Amino acid sequence: MRLLFALLATGVYAQTRESNPYSLKDAAALAHGKQLYSYYCVFCHGMDGVSGRGAQLASTYRKHGSSDREMYRTIADGVPGTEMSGHWIDEDEIWKIVLFVRQFEAGAAAKRCAAPGDAARGESIFNGKGGCRNCHSKTSRLGPDLAGIGASRSIEHLRESIVEPDKAISRAYRVARLKTVNGESVRGILLNQDEYTVHVLDAAERIRSFRRTQLAELALPKESPMPSYAKTLQASEIDDVLAFLCAGGSR
Amino acid sequence: MKWFLLLPIVASAQVTNQQLLNASKAPENWLMYSGDYRSMRHSGLTEITPANAGKLTLQWAYQAKIVEKFETTPVVVDGVMYITLPPSDVVALDAATGVRLWEYKRRMPPKAQVCCGQVNRGVAVHGERVFIATVDAHMVALDRKTGRVLWDTEMTDYKPGYSGTHAPLMVKDKVIAGVAGGEYGIRGFIDAYDVATGVRKWRFYTVPGPGEFGHDTWAGDSWKTGGAPLWITGSYDPELNLTYWGTGNPGPDWNGDVRKGDNLFSCSVVALDADTGERKWHFQFTPHDEHDWDATQIMTLLDRPIRGRDRKVLVTANRNGFYYVLDRATGEFLHGKAYVKQTWAEGLDDRGRPIRRPGKLPTAEGNHVYPQVAGGTNWNSPSYSPVTDLFYVPVREGGSLYYKGAADYKPGRRFQGGFFNNEQVAHDWYGAVRALDPSTGEMKWEHRLQVPPWAGVLSTAGGVVFAGTDDGYFKALDASTGRDLWNVNLGGRVIASPMSFAAGGAQRVAIAAGSGLFVFGLR
Repeated sequence: MRLLFALLATGVYAQTRESNPYSLKDAAALAHGKQLYSYYCVFCHGMDGVSGRGAQLASTYRKHGSSDREMYRTIADGVPGTEMSGHWIDEDEIWKIVLFVRQFEAGAAAKRCAAPGDAARGESIFNGKGGCRNCHSKTSRLGPDLAGIGASRSIEHLRESIVEPDKAISRAYRVARLKTVNGESVRGILLNQDEYTVHVLDAAERIRSFRRTQLAELALPKESPMPSYAKTLQASEIDDVLAFLCAGGSR
Repeated sequence: MKWFLLLPIVASAQVTNQQLLNASKAPENWLMYSGDYRSMRHSGLTEITPANAGKLTLQWAYQAKIVEKFETTPVVVDGVMYITLPPSDVVALDAATGVRLWEYKRRMPPKAQVCCGQVNRGVAVHGERVFIATVDAHMVALDRKTGRVLWDTEMTDYKPGYSGTHAPLMVKDKVIAGVAGGEYGIRGFIDAYDVATGVRKWRFYTVPGPGEFGHDTWAGDSWKTGGAPLWITGSYDPELNLTYWGTGNPGPDWNGDVRKGDNLFSCSVVALDADTGERKWHFQFTPHDEHDWDATQIMTLLDRPIRGRDRKVLVTANRNGFYYVLDRATGEFLHGKAYVKQTWAEGLDDRGRPIRRPGKLPTAEGNHVYPQVAGGTNWNSPSYSPVTDLFYVPVREGGSLYYKGAADYKPGRRFQGGFFNNEQVAHDWYGAVRALDPSTGEMKWEHRLQVPPWAGVLSTAGGVVFAGTDDGYFKALDASTGRDLWNVNLGGRVIASPMSFAAGGAQRVAIAAGSGLFVFGLR
């Protein structure tokens, strides 16, 4: 066959039901769901629904909905603006994946991360000294909005993102460093690159469009646009920020 | 009289066998899917050259109301262009202006299944008829003047997963096409139908039944769901009276345990007598394939000296990463060479059989093997230019993670025995158009692309190679050097192969991209 366009074809298989036709008592469906999950989901969500860089699935809270119908939609159509792509899979296979994700919920309840710090102090660091809000807000495009992040990411993931942001870089926030033939240097978030053009979002949130022929250099270093706070914040301050994020994050 | 002057547009003359045999000598037309029976995908038109290609401009565009992938290669006969739209519609256009002359719309049953989209790649023409193989596995003949249905023959019941997606091949009084469905446990076949009546004249099963040659290459009953589908148009040698067909993967794709043996004639080329469908020879590129490396590439027929002896050869860049030169009279393996990075074989032995490396099959945890699941190249066309004597291939560099899983056959359901992942190993992926020495497979030049292309290539006698990209560009390259001459972004993925024709004496180049068909020329 040619290739299953896993990234394409949003909604090719139209959803025909509101609830999952399979039950958690159906061992065969659950086993098949586990296999499918290991093909499509494991890289971002981890086999345990916790350990990946994607949203934690071992929870009853899911940002894009926890009903059967909402989870089906999320898998089939993806989440625009995130790394979660749509999947071109048979309807019954999506339902089996939903089933496998559902079994994570046993004992998980609405999991929220917990940190030892002080959330109120964390909020003032987030808005002030840390400068976090410059990029992490509902209006900025330089970083993801962190509202509700404590419910969908583990404390370990959040701490790593603050201390070692270069370790796992979201594809939505890749850095491009370029120099034009006129000598201008730009560092920004890579929005797009194709055969002949490159687009970056610079630090002032301007979309800069270049023809490759205008560029003397183009580098895509494995670095996050976010600086590490390992040295600029005290360990206790990082705990405070984490406590703030766990408690709800930026409003 | 005025109406008399308009007549040629509406009612062009019959397409004769003589015309089809000499298709490459009348480059103002493009009479079949790959341009001529040799499937060279080469246009004899010379107006567009490396010196003037930079001045190419849009002449007209046709917007199709489709969301499915647009994979058609137009056929042009005396000023009329025939294209197919997904799932299985046919549209006739005035080739000079793009104005629609007629449209055949086929209502598709809801469960007609195709692994990778309800697509269609083009028509065949003969006499006063135009033919399409449909996604619901029918062969349909239409009146070229009106689009009226002349006959409609069911090839087989589509429900277990059979479909028609490729342009039929027209030979003498028969129209020939096979069935797709390699992910549904079908049993592949190639059919020939009488052009006048639609009555089936022969059938060749690409998975041999009990008592037939090759049946013992399938363990137990595995032949019943053996796959070996057909989804790209064959080639034809009139002197040998042989048609050549590349066959697809065995089923299930990634778990070969249930189908031990070589699995003939999957991942092969079969040479079939055009009159009887009898197999003259076969060559299997990938025995017992477990990576989904269909051999559904276009088989290009060339005549050339190989190691000092004149040969009638068949050349193909296979999805498994190797380029092959075969004697097309006998099927004898003459030469093979990897044209992309591959990690699964030490090489090919004297008879062209791959020398497999251990540990390169799909596993439960995923095994990173090169080339990628879509192969070093795929169905999108290569091209051969007799002017430069180069063979041009759109190539895909990079590997995939191959997974082995359970394989339970249920009629009409996917029967894959595993899966693959590309995203996690795409860090070193790229694409290219490569020019190969047709005798040796040695690379003469490369034009790098950011992304592996799903677009085919076309060479022209003016010395230009046309190519497309997954990020929507259509571009012209110097056929001698690969130098970039011209490009335009068409705003949608190019998942089709270009062709060329002439309208009013001016050369045109056509390409489908996104949901539009775009036609370029100098004037």
